[in-house]
Amino acid sequence: MLRHVLQRLLLAVPVLLGVLLVGFLLMQVVPNDPAVVRAGPTATQDVIEGIRRDLGLDRPLWLQFALYLGRLARGDLGVSIINNMPVLEELGNTIGPTLELMLASLAWSVPLGIGLGTVGACWRGGLLDRAIMMVSVAGVSVPVFLLGLGLVWLLGFTFPVLPFSGRAGPLWTLEGLAGIILPALTLGGVFVGPVARMTRSAVLDVLGADHVRTARAKGLSETAVVLHHALRNALIPVVTLIGLQIGFLLGGAVVVESIFSWPGIGRLAVGAILSSDAPMAQGTIIILSVGFILVNLAVDVLYAVLDPRIREASGP
Amino acid sequence: MGVMTLAGPPPALAPAAAPVLAVRDLVTTFETPNGTIRPVDGVSLAVAPGRTLGIVGESGCGKSMLSLSLMGLVPPPGRVAGGSVRLEGRELVGLPARALRAVRGNRVAMIFQEPMTSLNPVHTVGGQIVEAIRAHRRVPARRLRAEAVEALRQVRIPAPERRFDEYPHQLSGGMRQRVMIAMALACRPALLIADEPTTALDVTIQAQILDLLRDLQAETGMAIVLITHDLGVVAQVADEVAVMYAGRIVEHAPVGAIFDDPQHPYTIGLLGSMPRMEEDVARLVAIGGTVPPPFRLPPGCRFAPRCPFGDAACRERDPALAAVADGHAAACRKAPVEAHP
Repeated sequence: MLRHVLQRLLLAVPVLLGVLLVGFLLMQVVPNDPAVVRAGPTATQDVIEGIRRDLGLDRPLWLQFALYLGRLARGDLGVSIINNMPVLEELGNTIGPTLELMLASLAWSVPLGIGLGTVGACWRGGLLDRAIMMVSVAGVSVPVFLLGLGLVWLLGFTFPVLPFSGRAGPLWTLEGLAGIILPALTLGGVFVGPVARMTRSAVLDVLGADHVRTARAKGLSETAVVLHHALRNALIPVVTLIGLQIGFLLGGAVVVESIFSWPGIGRLAVGAILSSDAPMAQGTIIILSVGFILVNLAVDVLYAVLDPRIREASGP
Repeated sequence: MGVMTLAGPPPALAPAAAPVLAVRDLVTTFETPNGTIRPVDGVSLAVAPGRTLGIVGESGCGKSMLSLSLMGLVPPPGRVAGGSVRLEGRELVGLPARALRAVRGNRVAMIFQEPMTSLNPVHTVGGQIVEAIRAHRRVPARRLRAEAVEALRQVRIPAPERRFDEYPHQLSGGMRQRVMIAMALACRPALLIADEPTTALDVTIQAQILDLLRDLQAETGMAIVLITHDLGVVAQVADEVAVMYAGRIVEHAPVGAIFDDPQHPYTIGLLGSMPRMEEDVARLVAIGGTVPPPFRLPPGCRFAPRCPFGDAACRERDPALAAVADGHAAACRKAPVEAHP
């Protein structure tokens, strides 16, 4: 198992290099010149040239990238072009709120999605099943920003019961807890539908399996059959889906953090890209990619936990 | 013809001991777009303690649906629409789901054709046996493992202590079927229904599993209903045989009589298509055609269109199961084809 994890981590290195290169090139394609941005609107051409030299922007592209990688290897992510803040420090400040938001979103949406999908599968074709599937399809179809704005309008303005701007404090304080409800509802809201649909079809699949017939032949209650035999096996495809969807959740976090002024990585990334702050934008890209790679690794490990056949194949 | 007509099994077959299982006129129906079909259509049979009833027939004759009907496990939209299933004198048809569950896996257990897929791949074999025990017996938690290991030992699984913690994919097909048997017998059922238990296994393993079933039957005195398409298996383990065709039992007799003196043309056809070691035949006789689908049953005798002896009268009237000899019944207008003392 450990070897398997190490192997996956090694495989992640080329992926990360590719992401860095693409991110680096994208920042070159953007028409804004960082030196001009840094120098300000009144700067002379000389000043701009000076800044360009200072930042190393006058060197060939491949050298810039190589130097960048070299600094990265030493743990130096550079400083923001805009405000001279070290990128690493900014990332450190924003990763906590983003993780908080993602976990809070997953904490309610995944159990709810799995529950709804299972209920739908058990009463397949019934009124309840159809209602659940309708809500799921609606959930999949509504864009994150619309859901977020709708919730702000409903619970922020019309019935002003919840705060909707910024992070008031850590989660264990009442203010912090209240502040995360709307962002987490929004971000999790788009997650319930896909999880419910996937769970439903996976449970339906397993319910038709021979071993479920065996479980019934043993005289187990329907609850035990569904929970212990059908759902347990159905979780394997559901975990795959959740792993894949967390990538989209990261994208959704960018939107949600912007709507709710949540001080997370997503908002930082948007700000950095809009202001051509290349080092900062690169830093957020690195963090998001590493996050994605780690999630996929976690999914791999979870597979092995859920399915003994995979545990065996991946070796000790 | 002077043949006595019977609704149920011939009285001569009714054993002296009260039967473990007594089925009368069992009907299972499915609602389909083509109308209501009856994969099991008026089946009656009985099995005594310690005895084995073989149910034979081609694929599609309704034998698997019969076994699921006995267990109350007919998948929707199918249902048992009529008749009676008495297990140890207790009526199972119409029993509430909870009461039926208390019987299922407890007094009557079942093993299936596919040992490869009949066990849950994500639970250990021991865990799955423990589950069967816990469903019906009050065994203290610390005794559960020992009970399950004992069940594994009973089905002659080597190193049962170690096997307890293994997963199904770590076992061979034969071993998995042994685990299925251990699970089925964990609550000491009065009746075991075995649906094609050896079909998916190698011939040598097949013989081992059949031997095991016979030994376990001798030890526990349980009755067995063995469902198979394989007459060789029937010859090996069954005491009595019911031949099924298109949802009905067409012949019912002690195993010897079925092989020595088959009365129904379908049985004769089945025997003709079975290879025998002592005879040197160039070509096996096959029965022409296939079992008619349940939504397109022919009028009259259901076997008539494939029957070499069938005539116009056969295609008009549906013959009932009638005694042709002591303990031997056949559903054929032309039976007995020869005089019986």
